[in-house]
Order: sequence, then structure tokens, then C-alpha cells
Amino acid sequence: MLQEGIYYQKGTTPGKHLSLIFLRLNKDKSTENIRQDIEGLWKICHELKKGRIKDLPGVDLPIESLSILIGYGKNIFSIDGLNKTIPSDLNQFGSFRKPKANGGGKLLIGSGLSYSNKVYKNVATEDIVLQFIGDTELSVSRPVVEIWKFISDTDNDIELSKFYKGFQREDHRSWIDFHDGISNMKSGDERFDAISIKPSTGLDNWTELGTYLTFIRLSVNLKEWRYLSLKEQEIAVGRMKLTGCPVEKIKDSVAFPSLGCPFTGTNSITDKINGKYVNKSFFEPPVTVDLETRLSHVQRANQHRSPSSSRDSLRVFRQGYEFLEHIDEYPGFSAGLNFISFQDTPERIQRMLTQPTWLGNTNFGGKEDDENPKLDSLLEVLASGIYFVPPVNENESFPGEIIFKQIETAHNNV
Amino acid sequence: MNNIFTTPGNADNLSKELLQKWNQVIKNNYDSLIRSYPSEYFEFAPADINNASTVSIKWFGDPAEPAFCLSKDIAQKLSDWGIKGRHNTHNEYCEYSIIYGFDSLGKKRPKRIQVTTELREYWVTLAMHSPNKLAEIASQVLNREVSFLELYGITDPTSLSLREREVKFSRIVAGHGNDRSLADIGVPSQPEGDINRENALFMTHPINGLDDLIYIVLFGAQPYAIQKDGSIIPADKESIFKQFNVTQLACRHADPAAAMGAHGAAFNGQKVAFTKNLGMYIHSFASNRYLYNDNEIPSAWIKFSRGEEGMYQRLEFGPSDNEDIFLDDIILAEGGNDVPVTGGYQIVKNVEVGPYVHIGEPKPMSDSDYVLINENLDGINCSEANICNLMQRLYSEYSNSKNKIDNRLNRQIV
Repeated sequence: MLQEGIYYQKGTTPGKHLSLIFLRLNKDKSTENIRQDIEGLWKICHELKKGRIKDLPGVDLPIESLSILIGYGKNIFSIDGLNKTIPSDLNQFGSFRKPKANGGGKLLIGSGLSYSNKVYKNVATEDIVLQFIGDTELSVSRPVVEIWKFISDTDNDIELSKFYKGFQREDHRSWIDFHDGISNMKSGDERFDAISIKPSTGLDNWTELGTYLTFIRLSVNLKEWRYLSLKEQEIAVGRMKLTGCPVEKIKDSVAFPSLGCPFTGTNSITDKINGKYVNKSFFEPPVTVDLETRLSHVQRANQHRSPSSSRDSLRVFRQGYEFLEHIDEYPGFSAGLNFISFQDTPERIQRMLTQPTWLGNTNFGGKEDDENPKLDSLLEVLASGIYFVPPVNENESFPGEIIFKQIETAHNNV
Repeated sequence: MNNIFTTPGNADNLSKELLQKWNQVIKNNYDSLIRSYPSEYFEFAPADINNASTVSIKWFGDPAEPAFCLSKDIAQKLSDWGIKGRHNTHNEYCEYSIIYGFDSLGKKRPKRIQVTTELREYWVTLAMHSPNKLAEIASQVLNREVSFLELYGITDPTSLSLREREVKFSRIVAGHGNDRSLADIGVPSQPEGDINRENALFMTHPINGLDDLIYIVLFGAQPYAIQKDGSIIPADKESIFKQFNVTQLACRHADPAAAMGAHGAAFNGQKVAFTKNLGMYIHSFASNRYLYNDNEIPSAWIKFSRGEEGMYQRLEFGPSDNEDIFLDDIILAEGGNDVPVTGGYQIVKNVEVGPYVHIGEPKPMSDSDYVLINENLDGINCSEANICNLMQRLYSEYSNSKNKIDNRLNRQIV
């Protein structure tokens, strides 16, 4: 079973707030000691779900629908004496490239995404990631402090390397003011099929029904974006700015939306009538034969290949959260997206970001060889990481305990 | 009769008569299938679809079966296992051969990869009806004089009957291609001669045939639907392949992509036809993921041919014979890992292949137009497919042969 915190099922909606906490372990300790540390961490997390913290014994705090997910980075599998070897897909595809020592550098060879020149160390590539999703800012902030308390009260064998926070937008737009992220797979089977690791008979069979989390913290260069005309922006995104309607074709440098969009009586694809999204069929960009439209961001990212269970489809389930943070330089803030996706292998996202017919060689969209100069550094990477998210096994004290000790599983493979 | 189809990729300038023979081969294959798989959503002649749009159906060229049965690591080993690997695993309409050279120390090392998506049937047509044209094209492809002896096993095929040419060419170069009449007289599945074993002249795996390509598109070109909660929705891959007892095809790259592409159109009431250049094409290659000495690969090391731009059927990748550089001097960037290129698997995993099809305009569908099938809620466990027994045996054979080589080398060292 997949861990909680992946909102793929029908009728489930993720909370409005997110925090991701990256932890580094002292790998000189014994496997059993490390296991106990993680078990302790997990207990703290679950006390939080019950509204309990150590320093307020007997006090019931608001619960606020907190969900918690744990993932393991590639490096953790270098610990001696583990019960499990590194899953093959994590070994092969479980990392992005490091930033250059003096800052910047490509996220992937073949990708148009690069680290910001100010990033010389990737702080999101650690042993463990914890994802908290809740309804309030406090619900996802408190875990940061409580985990720090736990670390302080123990042997300091875990280091809180970094945490990031994010929020969802009620307007379903991103910082570039478009509905560029509204298309996602249908809830239920389509999402599950893309997310869950498939059965296998090899050494990795214990990973079945787990998944991989990909995290890329992307800042958006709003100054450059706003230099683009409305027409240029719409062509780059593949959606109309005001309505959110998908672009069907581009003629003489003007984008034309899908016919009938938005539905009469609505102004935007996210407008509701009687509580229902009447334009929901326009959330997914259409299959278009217009070659220029196919170069837009939304078309490059989703080429309508089915079924989603096939890694060949390169479908991923996105569950991103926006961010806005203070920086000292002009304009005094950094705005962007905590891109988070779940997929059965990180190979999907790496292919999507490097294949020329997909997002390869482009930062955002457009022709790969003459991408609008204002678009070629629209997005900058601030941090990135790939984590294996083990399945839930009721015999474990925490997801992934089997990495550290023998546990009975459905495969009877201990 | 006017010819409906031209040569694949417009690669060759054939006489009207020879082109007519190729058209007849396509027609014969179609006629033999349409009786069993009639579809009102498929048109044989592309010109019969009004206002058609041309779209590519694409999938990645790396062999799927050894990967889903065993692992991607093993898939790479088996796929790169010389002619044995090609004959057993290269069945995604993309075959390759590894060209070796000797370095200055006399060590045998991989030099280049030849990738082909050319259909066997096209070459057999040339072999039957025009030995001279065949020799001319083969010489162009391999960039050297190719003799009749290499193609037919005799020095003068012009005196042979059509059938005798077909048999001899199939035995030496093409294999039987699942043609019962050839197999029954002892033509082997795979060619006995060197020219299409040492080179990837065209595809020889029986599954990579014209008949299978037409079959899978015909099979998919139906508005398969599931009735769920009172609504009619498109049937998913698992349900379609299970309903017709062809689950063995469901886990591959090519068949689901081709079938589901056609199904997507049929569900909207759109007709589908192959374009007049019926063939299998290389749609993209992520050459941007390879590095030599930390730089991009020289463009001279990437040679597309056998078709006009956008319709290439052949790719040769790697340094020329004049350079003292080898394939394993080239690095493939897999996320944060840099791995030397040792074979073709690392190339074709970054190649998208597939046919072009024409798709007509949608028509309104009534409930009775849909082909209702049962929903398969159990999914398809690819690792339990019958083909996995063969893959397991192949891997045992590979491991044994590798052990023998290792033992022999150890004895020599001792």
C-alpha cells in the first residue's frame, strides 16, 4: 500500500500547506541504532498527528488533517549491514547532477533546467525526507520544531539539513498568472498506475507498491516573464492567460483556444456552476496536431500517452506547492514552485526533462534551438532530490524499516 | 492500379512496377488481417480520410520484456548480448547492432551502434523483384560494395525464380519473419549470413513485422468502452488486452502505444489510416544526454539516414573508424551518474520510434456505437507474463556463458 500524503484517490484533496524536511544521518552508527533513531522520529511524527507534543504532556493540540510521508535517498543505502540493497531504479536514476562548486550548472545533461548561480550546494539531497501536508501553516511548521527537539534531546546523530515550506493557491494559477499546472491525471486508477512501483520477481520485489518522490524547487524569473507580450506568454504556456483555456492552434503568432472554452456563463476554466467545474474537460490540454502548439510547455510535458502504467507514457503525478520567500537582493523576494511528483521510477521524470520532443533542451517550452531568450532562464533550480518512498507494511514500526532489519512481508521475502 | 503507398521515408527511388509490388505486399498483409479484425474506424487508403491530420505514434526503443520480467540492469546485458540479444529481445520495432574496433593496444572495444527501424517486408520485396536495386541500396546503407553472394548466397540471383530469391534472401539475410511457408521449408527464424547479423541492415525479429504493425492498429481501432456508474467511458489498456486474451502484448512499449493510439481516435469517432509512407520511423534521439570529454558529442558522430528529415529509419552513433576513440569513451548522463556507453541499449532507450498515422475528424457517437467490454479490475502483472520464462532462461544462458568466459580468462591468467 502506498504511504499517506499522496493524494491520488478520488475524493481526496491535499491540505493547503506543505513542509519538506531533509535529514542527514550519522552513518557511522550501527544499523540498529540508526533504525531506532528513525523509529523515534516516526513516533514523534505520529504523536503530532494525534495533536500531542513532548513538551505539553496531556495537552490536546489541533490536529488539522496532518499527513506524513517518509522517503529515503540514495546515500542511505551506503550504510554497512543493511537488510536490503539499494533498489535498482534508485541506484540508476536516483539523483540529479550536483551544482558547480562556484554555483549554477545543469540539473540534468540534456535538460534546459539549471541551478541558480547562487546555488553551489544542493541541500535537498539527503538520507531522509519527511513530507508534511496539513490544513494550516502551523500544522506543517510544528513538525520542524518538534523534530529539532527530538534531535536535540538525543545524541544529535541526525542533522536537520534543510526544510522548505509551500502553500496551495485557491486561484489554481501559478506565479506567472497562468493555469499552467492545472492539468493532472484523473484521480483514482490513472494516478495510481503511474505512481506505484510494479510487481517484480527480482531482488526489488519488496519495493512493490512503493513509489519515488521527485522534488525540484524552482524559482521563477518574473521580471523576464513580464517582458513577454501576452501573445508570447500564451504561446509559451499553451493556455490562454485570462480564461485558462488550452491552446488548440497557433496562427500568425496568435494562440487560439479550444472551441467552446470556456463554457457559456463562465469566464475561466476554474469557474463553477452549482458547485461543479463545468469546464473540467478543458483542464487537460487537447491532443493537437498543430506543430507550434505542440512546442508549448503544457504540450511538451504531457503527450497524452496512455496507459499511465507504462513507464513509456512518462506520466507523473504532480503534487506541487508554491512558495514565496524573502531574499536580500532586488526585488526582495523569490517566488516559485516546490515541484513534487510521484512515479514508479524516477526514470520517467529524467526522460521527460531530457528527450528533445518532450522538455529536453528547453527551460520552459518553445523550440529547443531558438527558445525565446526571455524564456531560456525563466526557471532556476534552487534544490533537488529523489527519494524512494517505501510501501506501508503493517508489520513495520515505520515505512522502510525493512531496509534495516528483517520484516515479514507479503512476498514472504525477509 | 495507382500506388497508394510510397517507399518508407521516401528513402528510395523505385520504379512504378517495383513500388507496385511493395503496395501489393501491404495490401496482402492488410487483406489477411481485416477479415479477422474488421474495423469501420480504419481506412486502408490514407486519402480516403477527409481533412485528416497527421500524427506520430511514438514509444521508446529499448526492449521492454527483459526489463519488466527481470530488471533494467539485466535488460541491458541481454539486449547487448550480440546477435543472441538482438534476436531474443529487440522486439519494439527497433533493432541495433554493435560495431566493434580494436584500439591501439589491440583491445576489442565497441565503436559504433547501428539502429534500424526498417521493415523486413520492404527488403524482401526488393530482394524478390529487383536484386540489382537491393544490392544498390544495401551498398548505400553500409557504405561499401555489397555482393549478391552476401545477399543471396550465390553470385547470380537474377536467374532464380521469385520464390527462390525470397527463400535464399530470407535464409541469408532476413530470416523467415514468421512466414509459415518459409519456416516449413527450413528457413530459420533469424538469418544465417553475416551481413544483417554484423550490421543492422533492417529488422529481422519476427514480431517487428508489417503484419504485426497492421494487426495492432486494427486491433486498437475500435471504440472499446466500459460502462461504469451509468456512464460510458473509454476502456483502459488492461481491460482491452485482457478481454481479448492478449495480455502478453500489454506490457510492451510498441503494442499498447499503437493500439491505444488507434483506440483513442476510434473512441472519438475518428478514422485512422497509415500515411502513404507506411513504415516505422525514428522520431527523436536524446543525443543531448551524451558527453565526450565533458563536451557535447560531435555532430559527425550522429548520422541519420534511410529517409527524409522526420522520417529517418536508420541511426549510426559513434566515432568513425579513422578516430582512435571508442564508444565507451562516451558518457551517458543518467541523472547524477555518468556511465560509459558500452552498447546499444543505452542508445535506444533514448530513441523514440513509431509510425505516422492520419486521423480524421471526430464524429458524434451514440451509445450503440461503442464496443462494451468488461472492466479488468485485477490489472496485469507483467512480471508473470509467459515471456518471462524465456527471459529467465535467456539470462541463465547468458550467466553461464559469461561464467565460462570468466573461468577461461582466469585459467589463462593463472
